[in-house]
Amino acid sequence: MMSDASPALPSTRPRSRLRASFSEWSDRHFRWLLVVPAVLLILSLSIYPLAFSLWVSFVNYDFQIPGHAFVGLKNFAMVISDPVARRSLILTVLLSAADVVIELGLGLALALAMVRRFPGRGLVMSILIVPLFISPVIVGQAWTLLLQRPFGPTNYLLGQLLGHEVTIGWLTEAPWLYIALIIADVWQWTPFMFVILLAGLTAIPPNLYEAAELDGVGGWQAFRLITLPQIAPIVSLAAIFRLLDAVRLFDTIFIMTGGGPGTRTYTSSYYLYTVGFTQFHLSQATAGAWIFLILISVLVGLLVKRLVKAEPA
Amino acid sequence: MNDRERREFEAGLAAEVDVWLRGEPTRRSFIKRFGQMTGMLAVSGPLLGSISRSALAQAAAQLADPTTPLGQAQAAALKASTEGPADGSAYRAVQAAKKLQGVTLNMTYEAGLQALDPRHFSGPMWEQLTGNKSNVVELSHPDQYSKPVAEHIAGSGAYDILDIEPAWTPSLADGGVIAPLDDYIAQYMNKADFDDYHPLFKALPTYKGKIWGFFDDGDMFALYYRKDVFADPKLKDAYGKKFGKPLEVPKTWEDYAQVAQFITDQMAPDLYGAGHFRKAGSPGNQFDFLQQFRANRGEFFDGDMKAQLASPAGIKTLENMIAANKASIPGNNELDAVSLWAAFLQGKVAMIYSWPPTGRMAANYSQSDTAINFIPRSSIAGKVGYAVVPGNPEHATGYSKALAADSANPEAAYLFMQWATSPPVSLARTMLPYALRDPYRLSHYKSELYGALWPDAKEYLVNLCNSANVGLLDMIMPGWQDYALSLDRMCSSVWAGADPKAALETAAAEWDQTTERLGVDSQKAFYAEYRKLPGSSADHTVEALGMAVKL
Amino acid sequence: MPARRRSRRWPAIGRFIFLGLFVAFVLAPLYWMFVTSIKPSDDYLANPPVWFPAEPTTVHYTAALFAYRGLQGLINSLIVSSAATVLSVLIGTAMAYSLARFNTGGRHLSFWVLSQRFLPPIAVVLPIFLIYRGVGLHDTRLGLVIAYTVFTLPVSVWMMLAYFRSMPRSMEDAALVDGCTQWQAFWQVAVPLAAPGIAAAAVFAFIACWTEFFFALVLTSRTAFTLPTVFRAFLGFQGAQYGEASALAIVSLAPSIALGVLAQRHLVRGLTLGAIRG
Repeated sequence: MMSDASPALPSTRPRSRLRASFSEWSDRHFRWLLVVPAVLLILSLSIYPLAFSLWVSFVNYDFQIPGHAFVGLKNFAMVISDPVARRSLILTVLLSAADVVIELGLGLALALAMVRRFPGRGLVMSILIVPLFISPVIVGQAWTLLLQRPFGPTNYLLGQLLGHEVTIGWLTEAPWLYIALIIADVWQWTPFMFVILLAGLTAIPPNLYEAAELDGVGGWQAFRLITLPQIAPIVSLAAIFRLLDAVRLFDTIFIMTGGGPGTRTYTSSYYLYTVGFTQFHLSQATAGAWIFLILISVLVGLLVKRLVKAEPA
Repeated sequence: MNDRERREFEAGLAAEVDVWLRGEPTRRSFIKRFGQMTGMLAVSGPLLGSISRSALAQAAAQLADPTTPLGQAQAAALKASTEGPADGSAYRAVQAAKKLQGVTLNMTYEAGLQALDPRHFSGPMWEQLTGNKSNVVELSHPDQYSKPVAEHIAGSGAYDILDIEPAWTPSLADGGVIAPLDDYIAQYMNKADFDDYHPLFKALPTYKGKIWGFFDDGDMFALYYRKDVFADPKLKDAYGKKFGKPLEVPKTWEDYAQVAQFITDQMAPDLYGAGHFRKAGSPGNQFDFLQQFRANRGEFFDGDMKAQLASPAGIKTLENMIAANKASIPGNNELDAVSLWAAFLQGKVAMIYSWPPTGRMAANYSQSDTAINFIPRSSIAGKVGYAVVPGNPEHATGYSKALAADSANPEAAYLFMQWATSPPVSLARTMLPYALRDPYRLSHYKSELYGALWPDAKEYLVNLCNSANVGLLDMIMPGWQDYALSLDRMCSSVWAGADPKAALETAAAEWDQTTERLGVDSQKAFYAEYRKLPGSSADHTVEALGMAVKL
Repeated sequence: MPARRRSRRWPAIGRFIFLGLFVAFVLAPLYWMFVTSIKPSDDYLANPPVWFPAEPTTVHYTAALFAYRGLQGLINSLIVSSAATVLSVLIGTAMAYSLARFNTGGRHLSFWVLSQRFLPPIAVVLPIFLIYRGVGLHDTRLGLVIAYTVFTLPVSVWMMLAYFRSMPRSMEDAALVDGCTQWQAFWQVAVPLAAPGIAAAAVFAFIACWTEFFFALVLTSRTAFTLPTVFRAFLGFQGAQYGEASALAIVSLAPSIALGVLAQRHLVRGLTLGAIRG
């Protein structure tokens, strides 16, 4: 492939002694120098604000009550004792789990269907990944337009298909409500799973299948014994990555249901947003955010350890 | 890299990428090219930005044809600003502002239609008159509260004039976000203009004895109904036979549900009796609940500031609302104000109660401007009657103009506020077809020019005034946001099937929590102050206090 | 050679039906949004639904782009997203190389960087707002670029880390043996070889910046506002502008789709080469 074994190398003789010593110094500390810009950025814009927000969660930072008196764990207690906070956490877990499972299944099916070339595959591929590039706000808007009553076309279409009038309240009636939210999320993120799984599938060495055929193992068995184990690391990678994003579900809820009816579609992010930016109880929202952060970190810790293990040495 | 390793490594790559990799000079050039592209974008950014900015630059004030009523109102406003009367607020504001040349004012407005007024009319006209420019900061409704608060916390002075809900006045005043106007008023304003406000709106921006803003938008709910449906002889006949009384515009909520259900039974699916904006967060539920609750003589708090929502009045209110929902157009529980307007304008609903733009839209007046293209043309123009909402109507939000405490140009900001809300200028502004500002001055209600906008406009104005006479105000207290949110959540869960009593008790518990968080004693004091305002309860309306305005 | 698999579990018909259905599923909301954006207002809240308007109009587009300043939001989004992507990928690649080749900082550093991804924005948005106000970065494109770089850095690092970890060192070792400095081995050997991974990381970073809403909402105002924030303006309670919102959504799809088509080839490869090698 490459004609000569090495690319054209620049001259390695330094021009001046200063340059030499600088280049030597930077070579020795190379690994740290590479890391410095990232660390600096994160320190300034992540760590400092986090420290500030930690302070906020221990004082009173409610706009309507003057002063920033220290209140100990009161903010945390308010969050923990709030039934809405608890319910939103449960809903977050359920919704994101459902999302990831469905996306995984559909993504796998899509990847299997697309792995072989056929005329027009490039076009289909381009269409399939479009949802990834769309802002979740727009996704929520698009689905709202489709589903809302009485003017969205969904019920009308369903009515035509099924022959009788369909009066499902997609944005207000449980369980259709949750189905609608899941559909919107699945619409947007299945392509993500699909792309990753496709990469995994195409990287399976073909000789494995050739050997299996020689051994008389065909079809479904080959899928179970070869394909699945080969893509298992990728599947877990993709699932973990997606799950950690899905727990922050906010934009579609904001647009489609406004958290309603009542508080039935409050996810944790939406709850925090309501408390912090609608009601402006900033200290309570920050305390809630910290609790949520701790919960996620535990989850991350467990899963990333799996991630790091799943990677080849 | 030996051959085997290389082959294995590249086995995982598609043929296309192989080809790409093989072209050695192109490896780095990809990164280079990408970098160049973005660099170009970054550099052209300012250029593109200035192009788009000039395309959007504030044009000269768009004035209507001077032979139309709107054009005449605008000409009158211009005249009052330039020629006098010399003691008029408009004239005095302009004269004083001319001395403060070259100031740029940042004013917050609700994004979308509301912002078209300062961008196409009042802003350019003010610049024409005084040389002071205006920057409109468009914010969504919730941001109109949170952004000024955030900017105040940061001490940035980013805004000069704030458009706020009158109900936010106590929070913002106590929080130091807005400044009192009394000194400027004494210096520049024609006091008689205060008496031109309808009594319901007059006291709204006052708090702790000071004036914190100028009221600017009379958002009275009113009932809009199809005259032709109510005059239909067959319907009248059937109704009389069924209920033993004539079919007429309902005056109580029980009648309302009965009439709506009757019309739906008779005429669905071509026409339904009623429609409401019930969507969670739309906002609408809290206003409807508040007006009916108080019409049923419900009290918000008892002597110890405990919420009294779970009272017989509360249950009756929810039951009436549920009955009304049953009689409504399908999808009622997902409608927001705009989709309800669409349903009404397309002739699908016989009665709605909503904000004042309803009347202008029903008459096809609003749609005369291309900016309003989110609602259909009215198919019911000329068939719409106006009535007062059964019981008592709610004054749902409204707007005041307030002065930001951190403003660097308080005097210039104040003068604009005084000018924009002065009688002649505010009349021109409320007459704009695309504006969502509604009449609030007696001079608006009595205006011949406004009354000439469409055949029934006079009746529409009279109805708004009568509504204000018996109108009820939102809770003007700290925590209003939280109380309203609890009501909205309660209502939407009941529409989805929750038990009304349980939902009321949950909401009452949330209210108590909010009260405790803000301090029971201070809330008690605020509540007492609020009770003194005309319109705070059904026994304490403008009419009950003998101040009703008869037109 | 591209891996050839004998596909047995998908008889061709079933495959095409499934793909067809899914493609229709993907296209349906987009089609409806497009149609809503060209319908005159009389049509789009009509029942039964109007599938294609008799009199399509472009008034929603002009309103959305100019009256509601969607064009400025679009341009700002393009600038900010591109700049943040470049920075994020550059800095992230550098850090990932260090972590992969030298195990700098061990597990802790890499874990720390990755975990930044999961910061709930609400916890940090007010302090960042105050910082920006203090240093004058509020409502500037530069400020947003910096914030987005930080916000997308963890993913860039993570993706490039996986890629570098699985890339054999032999070429760099050969270069070092030949007398290159570490920098040269990095910049002139490793980076070009990692180009597919960089492309994939860039695509993901761009998407994240392009669609980010919350920080843009808080950190911008009249000048540097981005496209997602313009949508918020369309949610007024007395003026929900379906047509304008749809028009703006369709317009904002164009760069996204262009990027997607360009990246589609490399996306699949560069994404997880690391994780599957072994």
